[in-house]
Amino acid sequence: MKFVAVTACPTGIAHTYMAAEQLEKTAQKLGHTIKVETQGAMGIENELSQADIDAAEAAILATDIAIEKPERFDRIRKVQVPVQAALKDPVAIFQKTLAA
Amino acid sequence: MKEQLQKHKQYLLTGVSHVIPVIACGGILIALAVTYAFQFKLLNPHGGPDFTNAPWLIKNMALIGEKAFQLFPAVLAGFIAFAMAGKPGLVPGFVGGFIAAIPQVVGEKNASAGFLGAILIGFVAGHLVNGLKKLPVPKILRPVMPIIIIPICSTLPVGLLMLALNMPIAQVMVALGHFLENLQSGSQALLAMLLGAMIAFDMGGPVNKAAFFFGAAMIEQGNYAIMGACAAAICTPPLGLGLATLISRQLWTDEQRESGYAALGMGMIGITEGAIPFAAGDPFRVIPSIMIGSMVAATIAMLGGVGGHAPHGGPIVLPVVDNRIIYIVAIVAGATVTAVLINTLKKLTEKPAVAPAAI
Repeated sequence: MKFVAVTACPTGIAHTYMAAEQLEKTAQKLGHTIKVETQGAMGIENELSQADIDAAEAAILATDIAIEKPERFDRIRKVQVPVQAALKDPVAIFQKTLAA
Repeated sequence: MKEQLQKHKQYLLTGVSHVIPVIACGGILIALAVTYAFQFKLLNPHGGPDFTNAPWLIKNMALIGEKAFQLFPAVLAGFIAFAMAGKPGLVPGFVGGFIAAIPQVVGEKNASAGFLGAILIGFVAGHLVNGLKKLPVPKILRPVMPIIIIPICSTLPVGLLMLALNMPIAQVMVALGHFLENLQSGSQALLAMLLGAMIAFDMGGPVNKAAFFFGAAMIEQGNYAIMGACAAAICTPPLGLGLATLISRQLWTDEQRESGYAALGMGMIGITEGAIPFAAGDPFRVIPSIMIGSMVAATIAMLGGVGGHAPHGGPIVLPVVDNRIIYIVAIVAGATVTAVLINTLKKLTEKPAVAPAAI
């Protein structure tokens, strides 16, 4: 399955990127494809276009703060989790998203 | 109720994430200018720094840092309101926060409502704007809502409220400052232990950020001790765990030893999150070890008068720390305690059959 995701933590220097890496790794392990946008202290990186989002089945928002450009995700099924969850148990996030 | 609380935490953290670079900029520029002033004995009669005869660059560094600090409550409140209400939240949030920065004379002291006022007014502004957005408006008036009605109808009451609250909140801030300054060393140690435990507990998560932000916000109030204690505590979890993998290599897997180097690197630049790969796999031994290590580091730093001028931790901020020797001692002690604790716990609770196999 195709996923998109956004990660964002308050400081935006470590958790954001660690969570993105975990989501990418886990998606690969589970046989999914995923594009992860990071909203760290540098702002938006690896930005998801509307086309990326429309092409995906679901969006994972692993964020502790309000994200930028949230309106892009208005039309897609989404699951909101804390950043910590992506570090501790990324597999569970995918299960939750598939079940949602 | 719980969901509401969760959301408000998210709003607050959005504000915090935008304000951290502002505090870093202000704190570091001022600290460097002040260091220069002390180095070259540019002092006023009260023993504080006096920049009137300082070189052009130093004088302006102090001025620019000060301006960044004045912006701090505005940015904090502005982005709290922004997280809640989007673009229309910015104006009342910024203006309300800017008013919270107006200096008040409390007794003999100058204080402002500062971060407490900013957080409060940011929430008020966000809620008010969200309320205004819901008002039923005839179609012809709709275009003027976001550019005239909402900015004025939110900013005027928010501004008036903040003006009224400035004095009482500034008094609270002064009382808090007094309280922190007059802590006996016993209570100082207690406060430091609490801060250290919070910093290490979730390694960069919300509990860590609460302690960290308290320290960062107190920099603006001219109290550097809280941040000093936090700065030392921030780096010892990854440093201690990295150190542990170096001390007893046979206790750790190849992958963990690899993470150990990464953790040491992250510790040096003050990123507590470097400890997460260890804690994720083994929370019951790792988290107590890093909490105790950070408590030790924070306590030594606090009692040794370490001051942190930048909202960041680890050896990387050494240039803008007061009492550098004690700061290093605190970090080394905290990291060593963590390393010894985790290795001892591992030795005691792990079957010895696993360990010698690696030799």
